[in-house]
Amino acid sequence: MLRSPWLTVRVQIALGVIFVAAALPKIVDPPAFAQMIYNYRLVPGFAVNALALVLPWLELLAGLALILGIWRRSAAALVGAMLVAFIVAIGINLARGHAVDCGCFAVDAVAKTPAQLFDEMRWVVIRDIGMLLMVAQIVWATRQPRAETEAAEALEPAQAHRT
Amino acid sequence: MPDRRFFAEIAALIIAATLCAAVANAVSSRERNLAWAGEYPNARVIPQGAPAAILLPTAPESEPAPSPAPDAGPESGTAAGAQPEPAATPAATAAAKQPAAPPPAAKAPRFTLADFPTTPSHPAVEITSEQARALYQLRAPFIDARRTQVYEQGHIAGALSMPVWESDVDERVVGFYEEGHPGEAPIVVYCSGGACEDSHMLAQKLWGLGYNNVLVYKDGWPDWQAHGMPVERGPAR
Repeated sequence: MLRSPWLTVRVQIALGVIFVAAALPKIVDPPAFAQMIYNYRLVPGFAVNALALVLPWLELLAGLALILGIWRRSAAALVGAMLVAFIVAIGINLARGHAVDCGCFAVDAVAKTPAQLFDEMRWVVIRDIGMLLMVAQIVWATRQPRAETEAAEALEPAQAHRT
Repeated sequence: MPDRRFFAEIAALIIAATLCAAVANAVSSRERNLAWAGEYPNARVIPQGAPAAILLPTAPESEPAPSPAPDAGPESGTAAGAQPEPAATPAATAAAKQPAAPPPAAKAPRFTLADFPTTPSHPAVEITSEQARALYQLRAPFIDARRTQVYEQGHIAGALSMPVWESDVDERVVGFYEEGHPGEAPIVVYCSGGACEDSHMLAQKLWGLGYNNVLVYKDGWPDWQAHGMPVERGPAR
């Protein structure tokens, strides 16, 4: 059931759409995203801008790959790695009491109290863990010998049609 | 071999993302452009209250501050060469949609430029709202550290724009330096108030060029508006 192609296709499209939606505002305004990264106080100063430039495109391409079903296992693994990094970054700041705006889906600076930011950070960690479970489903469902994968992919449209 | 293919796909995605980022950054406008190597000395330092700054004592509230006339006094005369015109420039006037309100001089405490000594050992000193308003009347230069788009939506009348998160900030800072502003005269920098650190980052850049009297108006733009002080809209001069 959890490895069914029907479920995997829907999970990968949902995850892909989420990552594409998250990437677009950051691609439009890299300086604002650089400011968000800087506020985490975790990335060395020289790397802040480079990360702000590349990370949104990585989110976009991985998201598109998931939506289109291209390189889905690799794309899911990349998305998983990004989610782990986000969870660790927010977790460290939660642990040391440094309130940050996550900058996940918007990069506009919105005035929030530290209490609001901490609530949001906790929610983001839970949400990211949820998305990590989606990644795990994709990786698990696509983890099989190539011959079986190809056979499953060949059957996928038929199964999807039957359901 | 599946593992090799898996890692090759990941590498291809990373390379493609880097190429896309490079092309997008190369063709982006000045406001959206970023230098690949950032220069943020405090990138891993968590701010604790007033970062790298000392607070000046607030002068007692007394007589009204001098009006912003060119002959307001010897201290004002000293600063006159290092200040923007409080009145809107032709470009700013054309774009200004919000008329400048008269400063509430009657409520401002009395300060002179001598109340703001140089602090060579500190990149910046935080000042209060009252001190910022007094410095405005003393015609100290005001510099806005926020993004261009936000600046154009509204800024302190006469303030220069040096958005620290945009790629040409260093050119703007050097341009300011080359205009010959004296290093000892007070310069007020501000951003959005609250937790905004852009003004401190800009102060660090100015300090690096030898400006040792940079004053951070910590409450910044929201406080300025709340006090009904002169504002402008439109592009930077």
